[in-house]
Amino acid sequence: MVMERLTSATRYLWHSLAEGARKVQALRERLRTIEDIQEARGLTLLREWLSVEQQAQFNASKCFDVVGCDSGRRYRIRHGTGTNVHEIDDAGRPVMGWCFVPSGHLVAGDVMLAQKIALETNERAALAVANRFPVQVPGRPHVPRRAY
Amino acid sequence: MATQIVMDQTGDTRHYFNPDDTEALSKAEERFKLLTTVGFTAAVRDTAGEPIVIRSFDPTAEETVFFPRLVGG
Repeated sequence: MVMERLTSATRYLWHSLAEGARKVQALRERLRTIEDIQEARGLTLLREWLSVEQQAQFNASKCFDVVGCDSGRRYRIRHGTGTNVHEIDDAGRPVMGWCFVPSGHLVAGDVMLAQKIALETNERAALAVANRFPVQVPGRPHVPRRAY
Repeated sequence: MATQIVMDQTGDTRHYFNPDDTEALSKAEERFKLLTTVGFTAAVRDTAGEPIVIRSFDPTAEETVFFPRLVGG
């Protein structure tokens, strides 16, 4: 009698655990789908605001170049939500990293669009809030990143 | 239909309004003021597609994008 009850209780426990695990898995998948939709919306908006050249570059290499409205310097914005803006030289080599992002947790497309608009319309203000970071150039010795 | 696109954690929130509707236009202007007051930047595109930051509500803008204040990362 006791053994039967124990077996039954164990079976019930395992069944509940399995059911719980299935629910967690379903929730995870749902959350991932929602995140994918949000990411896709951000990228769609970004593409709408990119110039034809920037779109082509972004399609090919997940990054695009912008020209700062104040200095005329060129920046490469890479797909990402932080430390993704590099000032580049005439040969397209990164010379300095600039880290500035819109506040709040935005998706990558939104972050990149805000960075593009900022550099193309008010470069000085964008760089004023940005933190600089060194970038590693092939052939140049690595300089440890300064903590800020 | 004109659109105000506000970047947020969901990607963005879109507010559609008829610019010929006085009441809708007024609400859109209120939204513009509210967002820019709390630090959002408003941008539109010119005829060439280049972004322009606007400081006051443009009732003729077909699409206005708002993004939150920039901070150092």
